[in-house]
Amino acid sequence: MTGATSAPAGPLDGPSAPEAAPEAAPEAHWLRRWVADLAMGARFALGGGREGWTRTVLTSAGVGLGVAVLLLATSVPHMLGARESRDQARENHGATETEKSDRSALYTYTDTEYRGSDVRGRTLQPEGSDPPVPPGLSELPGPGEMAVSPALKELLDSADGELLRERLPGRITATIADEGLLDPVELTYYAGSDQLTHGGAVFRVDKFAEVSEPAPIPALLLLLIIVICVVLLLPVAAFVGAAVRFGGDRRDRRLAALRLVGADSRMTKRVAAGEAATGSLLGLAVGAAIFLPLRQLLGEVNLWGIGTFPADVRPSAGLVVLIAFGVPVGAVLVSLLALRGVIIEPLGVVRNAGVRRRRLWWRLLPLVAGLALLVPLLDGLETGQTSVETYQIAAGVTLVLIGVNALLPWLVESAARRLRGGGLSVQLAVRRLQLDSGTASRAVSGITVAVAGAVALQMLFSAVVDDQQRHTGQSPERAEMLVTVPATAQLSEPEVTAGLAETRGVKQVFGQTTGYAVRADQNPDDGAVDSVTVADCATLRELAKMGSCENGDVFVTERSPQEEPESVTGAKPGAEVNLAMPDYSRPEGKQQREPVLWKVPEDARTVKGRTDPMGVASEGILATPAALDVSRMPGASVDVYVRTDDGVADAKEFVRNTAAAVGPTATAISLKATSTTAQFRAVERGLYAGATGILLLIGASMVVSTLEQLRERKRLLSVLVAFGTRRSTLAWSVLWQTALPVLVGLALAAVAGVGLGTVLLRMSALPFAVDWGNLAGVTVLGGLLVVLVAVVSMPALWRLMRPDGLRTE
Amino acid sequence: MTASTSALLTASGLHKTYGSTPALAGADFVIHPGEVVAVMGPSGSGKSTLLHCLAGIVPPDSGTVHYRGKELSALSDARRSALRRADFGFVFQFGQLVPELTCTENVALPLRLVGVGRKEAESRATRWLERLEIDDVRHHRPGQMSGGQGQRVAIARALVGAPSVIFADEPTGALDSLNGERVMGLLTDAARETRAAVVLVTHESRVAAYSDREVIVRDGRARDMAGAV
Repeated sequence: MTGATSAPAGPLDGPSAPEAAPEAAPEAHWLRRWVADLAMGARFALGGGREGWTRTVLTSAGVGLGVAVLLLATSVPHMLGARESRDQARENHGATETEKSDRSALYTYTDTEYRGSDVRGRTLQPEGSDPPVPPGLSELPGPGEMAVSPALKELLDSADGELLRERLPGRITATIADEGLLDPVELTYYAGSDQLTHGGAVFRVDKFAEVSEPAPIPALLLLLIIVICVVLLLPVAAFVGAAVRFGGDRRDRRLAALRLVGADSRMTKRVAAGEAATGSLLGLAVGAAIFLPLRQLLGEVNLWGIGTFPADVRPSAGLVVLIAFGVPVGAVLVSLLALRGVIIEPLGVVRNAGVRRRRLWWRLLPLVAGLALLVPLLDGLETGQTSVETYQIAAGVTLVLIGVNALLPWLVESAARRLRGGGLSVQLAVRRLQLDSGTASRAVSGITVAVAGAVALQMLFSAVVDDQQRHTGQSPERAEMLVTVPATAQLSEPEVTAGLAETRGVKQVFGQTTGYAVRADQNPDDGAVDSVTVADCATLRELAKMGSCENGDVFVTERSPQEEPESVTGAKPGAEVNLAMPDYSRPEGKQQREPVLWKVPEDARTVKGRTDPMGVASEGILATPAALDVSRMPGASVDVYVRTDDGVADAKEFVRNTAAAVGPTATAISLKATSTTAQFRAVERGLYAGATGILLLIGASMVVSTLEQLRERKRLLSVLVAFGTRRSTLAWSVLWQTALPVLVGLALAAVAGVGLGTVLLRMSALPFAVDWGNLAGVTVLGGLLVVLVAVVSMPALWRLMRPDGLRTE
Repeated sequence: MTASTSALLTASGLHKTYGSTPALAGADFVIHPGEVVAVMGPSGSGKSTLLHCLAGIVPPDSGTVHYRGKELSALSDARRSALRRADFGFVFQFGQLVPELTCTENVALPLRLVGVGRKEAESRATRWLERLEIDDVRHHRPGQMSGGQGQRVAIARALVGAPSVIFADEPTGALDSLNGERVMGLLTDAARETRAAVVLVTHESRVAAYSDREVIVRDGRARDMAGAV
């Protein structure tokens, strides 16, 4: 033992030197630092108090809205595919004939139209105990019974469907389940019958499922779909980009505070990235939360007669993964790009890093690259086929529109720099834009892309009028409807005409019996066929220019150089013709008929044929009933042109009801001066619906940006009001500030749209045509959006101009 | 209290409450042409609210403010705005310059608001900038100059319209003492030269020293240290 005891070390023990400085913490691994910084950003986003929350909520709401639209867009292929497969599964166009058996049924189309809506109808008649049953039904409806879609049932049960109920009198015994419907709003029915006879338009089937190959999408249509997708999705991407920047000024101030406590510039960028990633990840969740109820809601939507089942709205897995990764990564990149323009200093000061002029050269690159992809295709696409260089066009159009997007900020900046003069409100707006036109340009870029794309599409639409939306040649001014009764209905023209003439709302009817003939000395299979029309004089005058006409007269039409030479035709005075043409409607194939010989009277007069109301040139033999007994014309059909009274509501529906009463195979069609193919109509509708949605989305983004900017300037607004600035001056300034970039954007959109449209037209070998009316319409729509944004911002502007902003305590 | 015939601006019995917080509780005030009055008091005492009521920016809950014999609360919002444009000038502590406008344009702003053409307004603005020795930054934007320069621009803007009353709310609050002194010197000299009255809200005694008279606001009531009120 030493005699000395050692006391426990106390705080006063140890070296007498001043307290040692704390050891510097070892340098953390870069990955750990990154994770810590990103986590700090996430904490700011989630726990940054009211300010942080506001920014996170704005960002996640904006990103969420964009994500919901993207999810919806990625569901479109499945939506279309599911419709297509259900459509195929329920059809059988009789492409493969089958023998009569226990498992066969007769099947015919009984489609109709009701007050502008198409009603799909099929009439079925089982031929045995085990007939095929279309999807959505458990059994075929019996004679006098119907199975209807829920939408049709609702219509038939309502007062609105009263007239249709008369046309479809069958007892409703079943409702078609979803698997038998294109969508929940489809009007369709299956009717049971025991009156069908095989042949003509009545097929024999032993199964359902379309056996024919689906028609390939025409190249033009494919081109339109590609452009529409690009046009509609790019603004959504622009919107998401803008949403990520929401609340950026406040974020910068927060980062400045971080620098004050020692964060370096790189660290602040990582914190910002963490904050942006958190906001966008929350946005993904918000997007999913919006998408799921929206999906259900879509089941209730009836947009121009088209709806969708919620179950069909299913995004493709690959695209979902792309969105899930792409959106947060994009958000971080956008955030970091946004930080390039500011210097965040430790003294809590955030200054713009000088007003750098935007460079033009790189902004032209995407435009040039896009055109480089499109120009080689200028020689034309093979229309009607799908052998389109899909990716090349998609990439080309996308790059051109991205180029337009990139060019816009440069143009707005250049335009703002050159602006001089104007009132105080204009000066305030112009100066604001000169200082920072990026925010405004970003907001407007979505509109520019949408409008440029819409202009290009409008041009393409206008040009395809002759190609797809062609003139039918029909003359609705001569007759609004045509009722056709096939020979199998066993009804004479006078019976049908009389029934229609008595129909409510019918002004005039022209009935005719139409058959065919060949010269008696020729083989009916390969002889020159002439049409034979039997009708009264009033009707014949609709078909040919003739002077006097009495019952018992016969006429032959002048022959045009394109027709058969006179030496082979039977349509000449004195010729003997065979009225019994082979029966092509027989399911087993062509059947010869016993010849029915008739001599064209020697005194038959030659007249000049007219086109009938359907637009078909009348030719051949025109006879009055006393001259030719229609019972001698096997296979002749009855056509009745109907003029309706515009003053009678639903006159056409009454006509359709009368036609339906004739029999299931009678058809009643409305004559139209133009016809649009269903595919194009659907695409056009989709475009308008999409463009409207996109404009509203962009409008929402602009409102948020404007409000945010106004909030940032609350104090300044109060000060301006304090020294007497008129509120209207500030309101106009907000309007100009929105309007100027939009004007530049719309001008750019018009030029780019016409340019892109010209390229697309050249590609499709269509003549150059600009629909200036539509162009004006689209630009006016963009302009209205500006006004809407300004008007929506006004209440906030008024509120922010209150003197509260001057209070500091 | 009745408006004195020589008084430019008088207030009597002003009451103002924000939510449940009383800001003014029967405050009285008077200022004569060319007079510089410092309104002092601790934070939250109601100084700024008194200034806002005097300038017709905020209507009092009760009480009256008379300017040249006219009762402000009887005027419409538009007339009060017109009055502020034509007769009043303002200097605040910060956040008062329009960031996207140049100094000249900021100073010209009040003139443009009363309809003076841009060239004429900017020419008069330039003269004031020269007088306040900041013409070298006339093409700069607020973000490109120091706080002291910014405050001098604000003073030029307050004076350019030849106002009868200048309301200055903590005009040196964001400045260091040297710059604060210079700004106050410029403000009071220019005001006296143009016979403009100055209502100077401050909590700093050295700033109040530039005034002719001091009014202390405490618990929403104003007490004239010279015994005038």
